[in-house]
Amino acid sequence: MKKRVITRRDFLRVAAMTPFAGAFAYGFKIPEKMEAERRAKVVLIRNKNALISFKKPDPVVIQKMLDDSVTALLGEADPINAWKKFVKPSDIVGIKSNVWGPIPTTNEVEQALKRRIMDAGVAEDNIGIDDRGVRKNPIFKNATVIINARPARTHHWAGMGGCIKNHIMFVPLPSAYHGDSCADLATLWYKHNLKERTKLNVLLMLNPLFHGIGPHHYSDKYVWEYKGILVSQDPVAVDATGVRILQAKRREYFNEERPLRPPAKHVYLADSRHNLGVSDSDKIELIKLGWNEGILI
Amino acid sequence: MKKTACVAIFLFHIGLLSLVAHKGAHKEANKTNKTYNILFYYERTEGARIMGGTAKDEKITLGDLLPQEINGWKAEGKDEIYDPQTIFDYIDGAGEVYRSYNFKQLLARRFTKEGKPDIVADLFDMETSKDAFGVFTHDLEGEEAGIGQGSTYNGGLLSLWKDRFFVSLYSEEETEDTRKALFALGEKVASSIIKEGKKPDIVSLIPSENLTEKSAHYFHNHLILNYHFYVSDENILLLDQQTEAALGIYRENDEKSYLLVVRYPEVNKASMAYKSFMKSYMPDATELSLIQTEDMKWTAAKLQQDFIIIIFNAPSRFLAKGIIEELEERIKKYN
Repeated sequence: MKKRVITRRDFLRVAAMTPFAGAFAYGFKIPEKMEAERRAKVVLIRNKNALISFKKPDPVVIQKMLDDSVTALLGEADPINAWKKFVKPSDIVGIKSNVWGPIPTTNEVEQALKRRIMDAGVAEDNIGIDDRGVRKNPIFKNATVIINARPARTHHWAGMGGCIKNHIMFVPLPSAYHGDSCADLATLWYKHNLKERTKLNVLLMLNPLFHGIGPHHYSDKYVWEYKGILVSQDPVAVDATGVRILQAKRREYFNEERPLRPPAKHVYLADSRHNLGVSDSDKIELIKLGWNEGILI
Repeated sequence: MKKTACVAIFLFHIGLLSLVAHKGAHKEANKTNKTYNILFYYERTEGARIMGGTAKDEKITLGDLLPQEINGWKAEGKDEIYDPQTIFDYIDGAGEVYRSYNFKQLLARRFTKEGKPDIVADLFDMETSKDAFGVFTHDLEGEEAGIGQGSTYNGGLLSLWKDRFFVSLYSEEETEDTRKALFALGEKVASSIIKEGKKPDIVSLIPSENLTEKSAHYFHNHLILNYHFYVSDENILLLDQQTEAALGIYRENDEKSYLLVVRYPEVNKASMAYKSFMKSYMPDATELSLIQTEDMKWTAAKLQQDFIIIIFNAPSRFLAKGIIEELEERIKKYN
């Protein structure tokens, strides 16, 4: 079947039909078909003490934020019991991190995740933490469970760097996914059983980058201390929520509607084209915990 | 009469009446664009390799355009060299931008100073001054820095272009010291590049008055068009590395209009592209390739020889038609 061309006017039509015009106009959510009702749950937790200093997380606070968010996500009272729903002692677990220099996942977050995976019974030798080396890392090659954790940021070519994009290092040629501003990034989740193996997505909103400049797409000027973490089992829902926060920050900072450039359409196409998860905020149950000041959404 | 007045007001606002001033500036640029006469070659860390050039009187390495020290910051480690295949090892997805402008080589040099943030210098050989200018126009945010043939400073990033080179100087944290060092480094690099380059002619078709940014954007392919103004997921304008495009973005009150001019290498290709665009974007256009889109704005398009002119988001049909007609006149004079 010939692929349908999608133009700006398609978005304008959708925007004209929906009360959520702002989100959908750049959301590339085109109602081509009626789909079975799908829903997702996302937890947003914030703590005003999450950072000791600029870009330096407090490990104790981070651990509690992750515990509280995971228990809320799964409806468990105890964090270890919650983690036992993700991993079992016989699992081999890869924590897919992100080492991007200006805003990495951070050791504090990685260790907090590792601690709870061990608490749930997984041997330390069977837990790996890696980013760019995952294709050669024996733990990741054999991993039965992947925990996906990375910071949210705007991205020069994909619009947003989030949990969907974080798995790009599992493929041999990441640039093969650059077409149409990384529109079809979600397809990589169907390789190497990544969709099935990834049990938890942690999108760090501790100090997100909401705007990028130059070849390195970075300046401290466009980082703000949001001090939040988003968690979900749905990588699309967690990224779509992250996009909403980045958009809201851009609106606040620039004092005008300033859509992500390029738009993070891969997030919405992950839903509408690739059925990886849910991007429509109406279908995402968002549980907000903790510090509310400047929450933006 | 009313229609004429409206068009005149709009054209005045977006600067179409500044054509004469543009032409003067263009002639001036031509005067300074003498034949490039530097035999240019580069190093990979060991040895040098001839890359191109026309004259025999001067030899410059890419690394020679950058100093070894600036304001106490010293070059650290070996320079890194990247090409269109390896650039993703260095700057990930942003590499697509430079590939879109046909870049040939990138030299990256890191400068360190104890107790101070590092400074990273990225020197791109874009092969032509058109593409050096074009990649500079990709990101025009920031204050005018007054260095080279065009420059901006924003949040610890100094960008400039001169001749066939685009230069990005970036401090990992922004302080008053790094700002001074970046400007000093920028001046040093700019003075090392002897020649000046010519801007793409097509940019002179875009009225510069009331542009929302310092300049129109110049580019080749639809990936960059979509970056600045999303038209379609498919390449419905049949843009490629041989096409030349200029995009001017104008603001009136809180509304933005986008004027796109594309020149194709052949009339036939322009004709095919026009049909493709009309079929996908404006299939319901009934009059003079003009349509009111779903946001109540107006889009108009025109094929003129090897050019396509499109105005997106015009606030009224009269203004959309007016600007198309004006651009037709400009292109006639241009040719």
